[in-house]
Amino acid sequence: MKRLWPLYMILLSGCGGGDSATDQPVVETDGGSGEVVFGDTHLVDNPPVYESKPLPEGLEWVTNDEDPIFASPDAIRGGTFTDYVTSFPLTLRQYGPSSNSGSFAILYRDLPLQLVNIHPNTLNLIPELATHWAFGDDGKTVYYRLDPRARWSDGEPITADDYLFHRDFRVSEYVIDPYGANYFTTEILDISKYDDHTISVTAGFASPGDELIYSTAVPPVPRHFHKLDGNWVEDYNWRVAPTTGPYQISAMEKGRYVEFSRQADWWADDLKYLQYRYNPDTVRIDVIRDENVAFEYFLRGELDRYDLSRDLPSRWHDQAQGPDFDRGYIGKIQYYVDVPQPKRGLWINQNDPILSDRNVRYGLAHALDFDRALRTVFRGDYDRLQHTFEGNYWGYAHPDIRARAFDLGLADRYFDEAGWTDRASDGIRMKDGQRLSVLISYATDDHTPWLVVLREEARKAGIELALQLLDPSAWSNQLTEKTFQISYVSYTNNITPNPWQSWHSDNANKPDTNNITNTAIPELDAVLDRFDAATTLDERVRLAHEFQEMIYETGAVIPSFKIPYVRETYWRWLRLPESYSVRRADEIFAPIGNQGHIGGLFWIDEQIKAETLAARDAGRSFEPINIVDTTWRVQ
Amino acid sequence: MRLNPQTIKQWQRFRTIKRGYFSLIALGIMLLLAVFAELLVNSRAVIVRYEGEFYFPTYAAYLPGRTFGLDYAYETNYRELKATFRAADVEAEARGEPGSGNWLILPPVHFNPFETDFRDDAFPPYPPSLEYGHFLGTDITGRDILARLLYGFRLAMSFAVILLACNYVIGIVVGCAMGFWGGAFDLLFQRLIEVWSNVPFLYVIMIVASVIVPNFWTLVAVMVIFGWMSMTWYMRTATYREKAREYVAAARALGSSNSRIVFRHILPNTISIIVTFIPFSVATGVTALTALDYLGFGLPPPTPSWGELLSQGTENLRSPWIVTSVVVAMTVVLLMVAYIGEAIREAFDPKKFSFYE
Repeated sequence: MKRLWPLYMILLSGCGGGDSATDQPVVETDGGSGEVVFGDTHLVDNPPVYESKPLPEGLEWVTNDEDPIFASPDAIRGGTFTDYVTSFPLTLRQYGPSSNSGSFAILYRDLPLQLVNIHPNTLNLIPELATHWAFGDDGKTVYYRLDPRARWSDGEPITADDYLFHRDFRVSEYVIDPYGANYFTTEILDISKYDDHTISVTAGFASPGDELIYSTAVPPVPRHFHKLDGNWVEDYNWRVAPTTGPYQISAMEKGRYVEFSRQADWWADDLKYLQYRYNPDTVRIDVIRDENVAFEYFLRGELDRYDLSRDLPSRWHDQAQGPDFDRGYIGKIQYYVDVPQPKRGLWINQNDPILSDRNVRYGLAHALDFDRALRTVFRGDYDRLQHTFEGNYWGYAHPDIRARAFDLGLADRYFDEAGWTDRASDGIRMKDGQRLSVLISYATDDHTPWLVVLREEARKAGIELALQLLDPSAWSNQLTEKTFQISYVSYTNNITPNPWQSWHSDNANKPDTNNITNTAIPELDAVLDRFDAATTLDERVRLAHEFQEMIYETGAVIPSFKIPYVRETYWRWLRLPESYSVRRADEIFAPIGNQGHIGGLFWIDEQIKAETLAARDAGRSFEPINIVDTTWRVQ
Repeated sequence: MRLNPQTIKQWQRFRTIKRGYFSLIALGIMLLLAVFAELLVNSRAVIVRYEGEFYFPTYAAYLPGRTFGLDYAYETNYRELKATFRAADVEAEARGEPGSGNWLILPPVHFNPFETDFRDDAFPPYPPSLEYGHFLGTDITGRDILARLLYGFRLAMSFAVILLACNYVIGIVVGCAMGFWGGAFDLLFQRLIEVWSNVPFLYVIMIVASVIVPNFWTLVAVMVIFGWMSMTWYMRTATYREKAREYVAAARALGSSNSRIVFRHILPNTISIIVTFIPFSVATGVTALTALDYLGFGLPPPTPSWGELLSQGTENLRSPWIVTSVVVAMTVVLLMVAYIGEAIREAFDPKKFSFYE
């Protein structure tokens, strides 16, 4: 043994340390006490101040403080919550080049508050940065009265000028945000100031009542922080911007982790719907590149929870078990939610010569045995998505449309009608010497198992599905240039339908639009135009049902699956409110979010944590935790 | 054809190296099995006798279920058909009637590498079991592993052999030309080959594979484009060496044309080098295809390939039969190829007793 210690020294000398940041991070820590000293955030000498306009008469200001709270008053502040992302952010900027990619961006973009938010259970509007709101007569303008107590994380007050600055910021040539520039020319026409705490936002299109709030959601941008000049993209790559949210970045090691600290005297702490939330003092986001490795870290207790909502069912059933689960150290929770489902499906390019025939599209839909894939590959864990507008609220989702079912008889009939009556020696249909073979492109290997199942069953109908697994950027290029035959795409869905971009003929036969199916039907265009112009909810719902029926008739998208719940495994020291979560939850243990994820409902009980770790060492057990909550399950 | 006495001696010497000789026999048997894979591992029956007629579905066009009295038009499920025949015979016996005379013979492993076999009570991957007919178990989508190993072996070996053939033809031609003509041609090509061999070939293949989905032939083409240089060096030096020999000078003095000198005198003397490299090139080809498939940049799904099986295996270490079968298969095959290569090298060694013995 003695002779080996030099070897150990050599081996150990290779460990430890990591990549340290080569640039100066702007956030410096005061070594000993760990207290954070922000870099100066007052970087603009004369922040822009805008002119006020006279406020119109007769505005009816409304607010909402009657809906019940959804957090728990039993929540305890404190503790450190550890979570992970798979890649370190490319920048801390929220806009501009590279700001929109990666799992960290999704998390960080969710941090700020909204003017007016939506109650996650009742779906009514609730105040946040604004205390009251009022609708203008033109059906396109919303007036907001800002909370005078609102402060940025560096103490500066948030005023109307910050909202008007958002527009100048996004259209500025130095920020290089073409989507933003377009957004503030077509979707948001105007932001006006009436005094320091009153603004209005005018959308490009009229929408009924509450929907208009979504079209006019504009967060403030700190005008004292962003110096807009030619170096903005470079200078602000790693500058921590002041935020309106409950946490702020307090420590960071490039490539390894980002740490958020809870703001001690957050101005919004006693707002009704933000109370008792965002309880951990520190949220640490580690970078773990491989999800299998991350799961192993979770099982060791170094991550507090692991989200299995969108993982392969085998991990939930086979890997999330063992003594730690049986003894109750780790719990499993499955919570049914009612949210707009992502539009997951096989999107068909109707310009392709084989697929331009509607009978072929119908036949293909009837030749795909999704039930078998759901039963076998997904172990019955998911449901069939019936159409791509499922989950839209307020009656927009068509209640009766059902996806075309697996029926070989119907498939045969449609293919025969389309003229594919000859058969090759391996059973695949032929017409004029061409095989009925279509290429399905997709970007993640996780989809291969169920696509393989579909392919094998589709052979019985005589259609050959060739599978093309592409690199994500190559797959994305195919969509942009519309050079695919069939592609598996999952578009995000909003609370209300937004069909124009995907189904209007103005976007067909052009690269880089969302009308990837190249649908160009004049009658459908007319309905879509009327839908965008309609102002009452009843008329919009009626038109929505009409265009959904027409889209169903094109057969241009074959919907695949929906995951009607969220499910996570967690260590038992994470505590939840009695109702566990909310109707619109995207994650149960979201630490930070406010817009997409309803964050901060849980808390860490340090006593329970100590008790659990002691029990684990001693081998004592607790009651196993297996929660299935169907409160919000959609039938 | 009368063999060159030297060749006969080399073959006899090869046979005395038992390790290589038996490896060659074993590999030969495996290749033979792979060539006839459709008769051994397939979901199609080998022979079917139905209503007095014989059917041989293996290499023919597909036979719809209606051919055998089943009620569907897509390809017959022969395993089910066998059960149907048996059930009908049992029934007939119970009634005291003569049997239908229908029978069929299935291959020893009655699954093909593409079909997904799901059971009602459990989820794949299924462990090896005699009862269900999956002798090495299944992968995560329920496809039989033995089937995918055998067809994958066939694919990998044919890829390696074709790649080898293309590389060698180009390499030999260019190398020989460089050695024979020398001078400016040699210098020019040397520089070209140096530049070309510095291109990081794996990255280029990954880029190409992510833009167009490679099929078998495009993959061969891409690898040939970046791999033909390997033989040129050896051929060049061998040609230089032979060109300086006296028999070449004698042939030239007798008035032989250049092509006669090259094809009749120089090339046959370089065959020993080529033959020695062949097994190692086969091993390289198999490994290259497996590595690309493992990374996902090789042949598209659902092609049966060892790399894809390996990748599934390493992601599912709790089902060890997947990774074990591939690793054992690869080890055995590459070991045999290596033994053959070493034996050939020794057999062609002009010194019978060498220092490193």
